Amino acid sequence: MMRSGRGLLWKRGAALVLACLALPVAAVPPEAPLKVLRYILPAAETSLDPATGRDLYTGHITEAIFERLYTYDYLARPVKLAPQTAAALPEVSTDGKTYLIHLAHGQYFTPDPAFKGKRRELTVADYVYSWKRLFDPKLASPNTWLLEGKVIGLDDLAKEAKRSGKFDYDKPVAGLEVLDPYTLRIHLNNPDFNLGMILAYDPLSAVAREVVEAYGDSKGEVASNPVGTGYYQLAEWVRGSRIVLDENKRHLPAVWNFQPGDDPDDQRIVRQMRGKKIPQIGRIEITVQLEDQSRWLSFTSGGADLFWLDGPLAPKALLNGKLRPELAARGIQLSRIVDPDLTYYYWNMLDPVLGGMSKEHIALRRAIAMAHNIDEEIQLVLNGEAQRLDYPIPPGVVGHDPHYRSLLKYDPLLANKLLDKFGYRKGADGWRTQPDGKPLLIHYASRNEAAGELLGEMWRKTYNSLSIRMDNQRMTFADILQAETLCKLQTRNYQWLADYPDGDNFMQLFYGPNVYQNNTACYKNAQYDRWYEASHKMPAGPERDALYHKMARQLEVNGVALMAYTRYRNMLAQPAVLGYKKHPILIEEWQYIDLDRGAAHAPVPLK
Amino acid sequence: MLAYILRRLWQMVPTMLGVVLLVFILFNWVGGDPAYVLAGKMANADNIANIRHQLGVDRPYYVQLWIFIQQIATFDFGQSWATGETVSHIIVTRIGPSLTVLIPLTILETCFGIALALAISFVRGSLTDRLVMIACTVGMSVSILVYIIVFQYGLAYKLGLFPVQGWGDSFGENLLRYAPLPILIGLAVSIAPTLRLFRSFVLDEASQDYVRTARAKGLSEGRIMWVHVLRNAAIPIITYVMSNLPALLIGAFLLERFFGIPGIGREVILAVERSDFPVIKAITVYVAVATMVFNLLTDLLYQAVDPRVSLK
Repeated sequence: MMRSGRGLLWKRGAALVLACLALPVAAVPPEAPLKVLRYILPAAETSLDPATGRDLYTGHITEAIFERLYTYDYLARPVKLAPQTAAALPEVSTDGKTYLIHLAHGQYFTPDPAFKGKRRELTVADYVYSWKRLFDPKLASPNTWLLEGKVIGLDDLAKEAKRSGKFDYDKPVAGLEVLDPYTLRIHLNNPDFNLGMILAYDPLSAVAREVVEAYGDSKGEVASNPVGTGYYQLAEWVRGSRIVLDENKRHLPAVWNFQPGDDPDDQRIVRQMRGKKIPQIGRIEITVQLEDQSRWLSFTSGGADLFWLDGPLAPKALLNGKLRPELAARGIQLSRIVDPDLTYYYWNMLDPVLGGMSKEHIALRRAIAMAHNIDEEIQLVLNGEAQRLDYPIPPGVVGHDPHYRSLLKYDPLLANKLLDKFGYRKGADGWRTQPDGKPLLIHYASRNEAAGELLGEMWRKTYNSLSIRMDNQRMTFADILQAETLCKLQTRNYQWLADYPDGDNFMQLFYGPNVYQNNTACYKNAQYDRWYEASHKMPAGPERDALYHKMARQLEVNGVALMAYTRYRNMLAQPAVLGYKKHPILIEEWQYIDLDRGAAHAPVPLK
Repeated sequence: MLAYILRRLWQMVPTMLGVVLLVFILFNWVGGDPAYVLAGKMANADNIANIRHQLGVDRPYYVQLWIFIQQIATFDFGQSWATGETVSHIIVTRIGPSLTVLIPLTILETCFGIALALAISFVRGSLTDRLVMIACTVGMSVSILVYIIVFQYGLAYKLGLFPVQGWGDSFGENLLRYAPLPILIGLAVSIAPTLRLFRSFVLDEASQDYVRTARAKGLSEGRIMWVHVLRNAAIPIITYVMSNLPALLIGAFLLERFFGIPGIGREVILAVERSDFPVIKAITVYVAVATMVFNLLTDLLYQAVDPRVSLK
């Protein structure tokens, strides 16, 4: 009896322990299975510090981990600014020189040992600190220009650091007035109605000073320890190969409630997503796959959920801009947008052969512009994945005019007549010479890769049609940038992707003071500069659009550049992806989409 | 022996200095100015000057050269200009994936090469021998890119025998799941030239007098080939294998790139694309050192294999 009684006691005790162990399990409702989105980057990421980020690929990750004051409405087109960590859109003074910003309360950085076990709330001081970092000479941020010359006193801080060798982060900046932890007033040197959009740009995200001081490298860069307030946090990182982001479960709760726009597809997205918690995806697994074939096979074999279909791969998936039937039959979705970018051909205005404002030089540049077949270039070089553009501001960007038409039409015959008229005569060898009889040779620069070779051949054909000798200078990207910045290149295809969706970001490309920066045509024109300066101080509207028109026309009349095209961005999504629509400015949209790997969305297997 | 080793080590110093000078000159006069890439899309002259200052490329050349020599002496090449990661960390973390693919590949290539070379030599002059040699010539004429594209598409994508690409966290998973297809492709590419070369080594030995003597003594053909011929053919084989070993340290550029293997070869390509000179410089120097060390080891191995060889 004793033995059996002890046995019973043991059994009861064990049952009690098991019951106690089971209690917490039983009390918590079963968690929904983790939704994992797989994404492919076509190039390796670099630094996960937003202050030093300089490429789109890294931007995917930093944009998900860190937060800006503002972002963009997911569905609104044209794009519309929306608060991210701010409580509302900024209150802008009528003169455009003061911005009052209120931060939402209760937003926290993801936990990190740098915070010594305390919850670390985001305040406006974090933004002030993060923006100051852009000016620290030691960090050598490529994003200083976003605020350079804009905020009262901020540039002086950088100058002082260059003198003293130490950047004083504690020194107050007159233009960044912290009224309380949640309120910031920004004072600008000049009116700027675009600042809200600039503040939505990834490099202006908030980082915590403690983290930078704890993990900063010799320059103060925190590339390896990204700690932000965003919807996702870094869970795993094999550099240049694999990045895993996990949901930041401490993020302020938010509900998907975007309003549909004119796009009929918006209704479907709203039906799939309305009322859901943001985000739905618990984990993002990103792999870096550098080769086209590997990426394409990965996606079509189901190894990726979202896929950036870049240029060379487009013909595999698209037919006349539409998804190929075999892919559509598998339930693959296509989100196709016009990128907010511009490709144009410029001629160096400081070059002795091509530049200058004499009638002969203007005629030469116009003739070249009229002899180049842009449509053919789009078909042959870009597989048709671009849209012709006459205006310097692409669609989807504030200030774009779809009705604007260039005066420079494709007409090689007329181009030749123009050259004949202005003294560019053909010599005995059949090639044209300059009006003074000197040989005429144009150096067209392109990158030393396959696309550069193709572009070179396209332009050779153009120059041949004008009987002008052309030499294709194949250069490394670094050499091109150096020569271009120093106004030492004669001509090339130049591409500009919007930093913020406003025409100002494009019209500044020809502003005189930007020569030796990004005014690659090295164009200095007092009239253009006056118009640009006036437009820069205006809010968007018909008055500013009228100025942009004049500026665009002047570029044509002076033969500075020929606007060419804007490229399409094609994103493919597996059937399981719900609510996806590519945003023209946001780099990633992972927090706004969902996954349903159920039978209803299962892909049709490959035949 | 010790004197020989010390003498050879001493001879490495001028060779190394030559490498250092060559690398330094190439990167300073041919490489272009990285500050323009790092400066971003809207940098002014001040920004570019500041970046050049931060990188140290605005210093006099002799100072830069001295810093480079110090870096080699201390094995501290600083940080990558593109990612901020220390170069030593790049090398340490990327070498593993490269070796996971290349060590099995080298072992298999050598073993298969030797076995096939002996087998083919055994039937030398026959139709089989000729057919194999024709197949080798055809195999050598096809670019590695074709092998990669066809194998990846056929074996991984269509037949699903391997993952299309990828790399995991554990050594076992990588070796057994992700590495086999790159290894198979590497083997398909390298076996043809290796087999031709090893066959010629074996045939050279097979025509020697001692082989005729061994046959006259009645030794079996298998024993003659596997014991006597192989032992004597081992010296050129060892030379070939050892001279290829430093190449393991720079990874397999294309295989790593196509299969998403985060190895050193892929890192070199990324560094070149990004004009990331600290990484390129470090890898160039360490491959040069490895080549010299492996050459020395090869010479030492000669003696171990063939006692007739004396090191002077």
